Amino acid sequence: MAQLIINSFLKLFSYFAQFNYYFLSHRSLVLSSLLLFVLVFQLYASSDDQLRQSSARSAILKAILAPEEKQPELVEALAQNLHPVLGPILEAWQKGDLFILDLNGKLTPVIRLPDSQLQLVENAQSLPIAQLPENARPLETTGKLRRAMRIILDQLALADPSPEIRENAVLKLGMRQNLQSLPILERLKEQEEHPKVKIAILDAISLINLNSPDTTTKIKALSHFEARAPIFARDSIQKILADSSISPAVRDAANKAMKAIERRIFWTDFFGTVFRGISLGSVLLVVAIGLAITFGLMGIINMAHGEIMIIGGYTVFVVQCLFGTGLALAPFGFSFNLPGLGLDPASNLYQAYFLISLPIAFLISAIVGLILERGIIQFLYQRPLETLLATWGISLILQQLFRLIFGPANIPVTAPAWLTGSYVVEGVIMNYNRIFVIFAAFVILVATWLLLARTPLGLLIRAVIQDRSTAACMGVSTGKVNSLTFAFGSGLAGVAGALLALLGNIGPSTGQTYIVDAFMVVVLGGVGNLAGTVLSALGIGTLDQILQISLRNPVIGKVLVLVGIILFLQWKPSGLFTIRSRSLDEG
Amino acid sequence: MSDRLPKVEIFFLLILSAVLIFVIPILNSAVPTDHPFYISNYLVNLLGQYFCLAIVAVSLDFLWGYTGLLSLGQMLFFSLGGYAFGMHLMLMIGRLGQYKSDLPDFMVFLGYNKLPDFWVPFYSFWFAAAAALWVPGLLAFLFGWLAFRSRIRGVYFSILTQALTYAACLLFFRNELSMGGNNGFTDFKFILGKPINSPDTQRALYVASALSLILTYLLLRTLTLTKFGKVQRAIRDSENRVLFSGYAAANYKLFAFTLAAVISGLAGALYVPQVGIINPSQMEPSRSLEAVVWVAVGGRGTLYGPVIGAVGVNALRSWATISLPAYWPILLGSLFILVVLFAPRGIAGFLEFLAGKVLTASRPILPNTQIFTNSSLPKTSSPNPSGQESQKT
Repeated sequence: MAQLIINSFLKLFSYFAQFNYYFLSHRSLVLSSLLLFVLVFQLYASSDDQLRQSSARSAILKAILAPEEKQPELVEALAQNLHPVLGPILEAWQKGDLFILDLNGKLTPVIRLPDSQLQLVENAQSLPIAQLPENARPLETTGKLRRAMRIILDQLALADPSPEIRENAVLKLGMRQNLQSLPILERLKEQEEHPKVKIAILDAISLINLNSPDTTTKIKALSHFEARAPIFARDSIQKILADSSISPAVRDAANKAMKAIERRIFWTDFFGTVFRGISLGSVLLVVAIGLAITFGLMGIINMAHGEIMIIGGYTVFVVQCLFGTGLALAPFGFSFNLPGLGLDPASNLYQAYFLISLPIAFLISAIVGLILERGIIQFLYQRPLETLLATWGISLILQQLFRLIFGPANIPVTAPAWLTGSYVVEGVIMNYNRIFVIFAAFVILVATWLLLARTPLGLLIRAVIQDRSTAACMGVSTGKVNSLTFAFGSGLAGVAGALLALLGNIGPSTGQTYIVDAFMVVVLGGVGNLAGTVLSALGIGTLDQILQISLRNPVIGKVLVLVGIILFLQWKPSGLFTIRSRSLDEG
Repeated sequence: MSDRLPKVEIFFLLILSAVLIFVIPILNSAVPTDHPFYISNYLVNLLGQYFCLAIVAVSLDFLWGYTGLLSLGQMLFFSLGGYAFGMHLMLMIGRLGQYKSDLPDFMVFLGYNKLPDFWVPFYSFWFAAAAALWVPGLLAFLFGWLAFRSRIRGVYFSILTQALTYAACLLFFRNELSMGGNNGFTDFKFILGKPINSPDTQRALYVASALSLILTYLLLRTLTLTKFGKVQRAIRDSENRVLFSGYAAANYKLFAFTLAAVISGLAGALYVPQVGIINPSQMEPSRSLEAVVWVAVGGRGTLYGPVIGAVGVNALRSWATISLPAYWPILLGSLFILVVLFAPRGIAGFLEFLAGKVLTASRPILPNTQIFTNSSLPKTSSPNPSGQESQKT
C-alpha cells in the first residue's frame, strides 16, 4: 500500500520535471523552425486538403528515400507541406518503425503501426502481408535528422485539430521563453477559438515576456501570473528572483506572483493529500468493516481475514482470465487449463468483467468463511484467544495454498479501461480507480448499515452483539446468527480484496500487509459499531497520508500512527465508540 | 507461604542438567568422530539454537499460561536482545570486514563517516550484554505500563503487542535506523576475543544456552510456586475478582511482562552468535506467532511443555524446510489448528495423562476450557442454551 502511495506521488512530481527537461534541452532549434513556420502556416490554412495531403506524402517519401546526408534538409523542408498525416509517419521513423521494403523491385517505405499492421507511406493503404520479411531493418536516424523531425512534429502539434495537443504545444513554445516566438503566438491568439488553448497562449506569451528586456512588459507578465498562479511558471519566476540586477518593482511583482503560486501549490498538495487520505481510508474501511462485524459479534479476532480478502483478489484475476484467453494452473503438480471466453479486450462485455467479478468474489469468500466457521471457529467461541491462534493457522495454510495454486509471484490484474486514467481538478490528480474505491466503500457501508438496521437478520445480529445470553434466552439461534454473520463479514472481505486488485498487487502474502492496519481500525473504532469503524478508518488513512508527506518517510509515518493509536487507547480504552452495557467485561 | 519444588522434579532437573551441560559437550569434544556416541558440532550448534528458542517459549508460557497475557510480540524482545548483542559483535569484526574499515560494512556501504553515537558504548562486552536485557525490558515496561494502566486485556492486548511488533519490524527494515536495514548484522568474527565459529566457542555458547534455559526454568518455576504465582494465576482465571480483592493486578502483570521480555532478550543475545545473523525478519509478526505455536504444542501452563514444544517444532521445521519446503506452512498451520481444537493442553497434557497422578499432585491448576467460563459471575452462571459464551479472556 505504501508503495502505491509513493508511486502516485512520484507521478505527480515527475510530470513537471519531464516538462522542463524536454523543453530546456532543445531550446537552440527553435529559431530556425519558427521562421519557416510563419511562412508555412498561411499556406497550410488556405490550400485544399486532398492536394496538401498528397503533396505532404510525396515530400516525405522523397525524404525517406533520399541519401542519409540529405535527409535532415528534406525533413526540415516538410514544413512547406505541413499536414497531420505526417505525424504518425515521423513518429514511426523516430521509434524505428519505418522500413523500406523491396516490393516487386520497387523500394517501398512502410510503417509499422502500434497494432503491428503495416501501412504504405505512399497512400496509407494497409499492406497485405502480415509480417515483415526477416531481413527488414528499420530506417536509421541521425541526431541531426531527429532534431529536424522534432521541429516538424512541434509545428504539426501547434496546428493539430485536437485542443489538448495544441494547448501542450503552445505551452511548450512558451516554456522555451524565446522572444522570437512572440509574433507566432500573437497570431495564434487571434485565430484560436478554444477557450482553454486561448488561456494557454496567454500564459505562453507571459512566460516569454518574463524574458523581455522591457520592465513594464515584465511586470505585466508577472501580474498575469499572480492572477493565474500556474505551477509551471514557478521555475521561470524563481530565475527572475535569483537575478540580483532586477528593479525593485519587478522584484515586488515577482514576489507577489511567487506567493500566489506557492499558495496554489500548498492547496493542491493539501487537497491531494486529503484525497489520498480518504482513498486510503476507504480501502482500510472496506478491509476492516467485515472484521469489525465478526469481531463485534463474536468477540474473536480472525487472523485469516487478510487471506479471505485475497481470495476476492484472486477471484477477480480468474474472472478476468476466463473472459479473456483462459488460465493455466498447476497446483500440486497437476496442470490444467481453464478455457477462456476469448472476448475482445475492447468489447463492452470484457470491460464489464470487474463489475461481474465483485459479486462472485463476495460469494466465494462468503462460502470459504462459512466453511471455516462451521468447521473450526464454532468450536472455539468460548476461547477467543485460541480462535486467534487457530485462524492464524488457517491463514498460514491459505497463504501456502495460494502459492501452490497461483505461484509465488503477484498476479497481474489489469484494471478495466474505464477505470484507468485520472480526473484532474486544479492540479489535484484523482485516479478513477481510487474514486471508484471511495464510491464502492460508500456503497458497502450503506449496504451493511441497511442490513444491520433494516433486516430481520440485522435485528438478530444487533441483539446478539448487545447481549448474547439474553438473546439466546429469547430464542435467537446464536449459532446460526454467528454463521451468517461470519459469512457476511468474509464476503465483505472478498469484495475488499477485489477492490484492492484495482489499486495494487495481489500476491500470496498481501493479506498480511493489511491485517495489522485493519485490526488497528477495529480496535480504535470500538467494537460492534459502524460509525466508529468509519471514523477511525478515515482518520487513520488521512493521518497516515499527512504524516507520510510532512515527514517524507512512509515508515516513520506508519510507526507514529501505531504509537498514536496506543496512546489514544489510554484515553479511551475501548475505542472511539462503545456500546454501553451493564455487563462486566471479564478479561 | 510458598510451596516447594517436588522432589521428583528436582531429581529430573538434576539428571537433565547433567546430560545437557556435561554429557553432550563431552560427547562432542572428547569422543572420536567415528564413535557411535559422537555428537557432531552441527548438532551441538543446532541444539544451542533450539534451547534459545525454548527460553523464549518458557517466558511466553509464563505470560500466557500463567498470567493469561497472550503476547504476540515475544520475538520482538528476542530480536532486540539479539540486535543489542549483535551490535557488539559487529564492532568486534574490526577491520576484517569487506571494506577493511573500522566501521561495520553496512555503514561503509551507506556512506557513514563515523560511528553513530549510540553505537560507541557497544564496544564494551558487558554494556552490550546488559543492553540485551534492559532494552527489551524497558520497552516492555513502557508498553506494559501504558497497556495495563488503561486495562487493555485479552485479544486487545494481543493485537496491540502485534502492532508494536509490526511497527518495530518496519522500523528495523529501514536503513535510517543505522541497524543494518534489510540485511541486519552478519559475518561476525570474534566473541570475547575468540573466533566465533570455532567448535570450542560454539560449544561454550551451547553450554551457556543450556544453562540459561535451566536457570530460567528454575526461576520461573519457583516464582509460580510463591504467592506471586498464586496471584498471577488468579489474574488469569478472573482478573476482576483479583481487583475486587484489593490486588493491583496491573502491577503484577507489568512485572510478569517485563520479566518475560528480559528473559527473551537474553535468549536473543545467546541465539545471535550461534546462528551468526540477526535481521528484521526475526521480528515479523509471524515469527512471534510461531513462538506461540511452540507453547501451544508443548502445552501451556506447564513451563516444561514449551521446552518440548520449542525443540520439537523447530526440529520438525529444520527437517520439513529441507524435505518438504512447499508444505511446511501447511504442516505448521494444521498442527496449530489441530492442537487448538483437539489438544488444548498440548504434549505436556498427554504426558501428564500418561504419568497419572505421580506428577500432577503438585502441579499448578492447568488451564483448560473451564477456566474461561467464569462460573462465579452472575452473567455467566446461567447456562447458555447454545453453549456459547461471549466472554473474552
